[in-house]
Amino acid sequence: MRATAAERTQSTSNPYLICAAAWLIPGAGHLWLGRRQKGLIFLITLTAMFAFGIWIEGRLFPFDLTQPLVALSAFGDIGIGLPYFAAKAMNAGAGRVVAITYEYGNAFIIVAGLLNMLTVLDAFDIAQGRK
Amino acid sequence: MTTHLGLMAVFSVFVSVAFAALTREEPADQLRFAVRLFAGFMLVGIVLGWVLYPLPL
Repeated sequence: MRATAAERTQSTSNPYLICAAAWLIPGAGHLWLGRRQKGLIFLITLTAMFAFGIWIEGRLFPFDLTQPLVALSAFGDIGIGLPYFAAKAMNAGAGRVVAITYEYGNAFIIVAGLLNMLTVLDAFDIAQGRK
Repeated sequence: MTTHLGLMAVFSVFVSVAFAALTREEPADQLRFAVRLFAGFMLVGIVLGWVLYPLPL
């Protein structure tokens, strides 16, 4: 039986490179592995979730190790990859503590990053042939 | 859009869609799971809201 395009990609690609791509651009790992439908869902959903969080005045937290919860939030934020750096470059994500949507914005941004980390693990499993 | 319920609904949509795509393979399964997850999020959120309502904060 002939291998599908997705199977050929899985056998010839470096899983760690796929993980890096999956982290940098949400859904890129799945797109690389030929899982186009899932890749597009992650690309649209996670990017939109992150952008929505920024739009409703959520904050991109700094890596302040003297405040463990802030550092943890920053770790969640950076999970989204390139959109995080793009937002930083555009001076977005300053957050406005008095905004009624501030805490929600933080939740959107952090959860988008954490979900992207899950997609990275999923892409790794697919690349390893476990799924 | 800036109501608690509205933001909870938007959050639930995003998370439900991402989780459904992550844990299910077939599009029909994904859709079914996403709808169930969304309904669960909303139901639990509303119930918890009412349970916490009498508490003084």
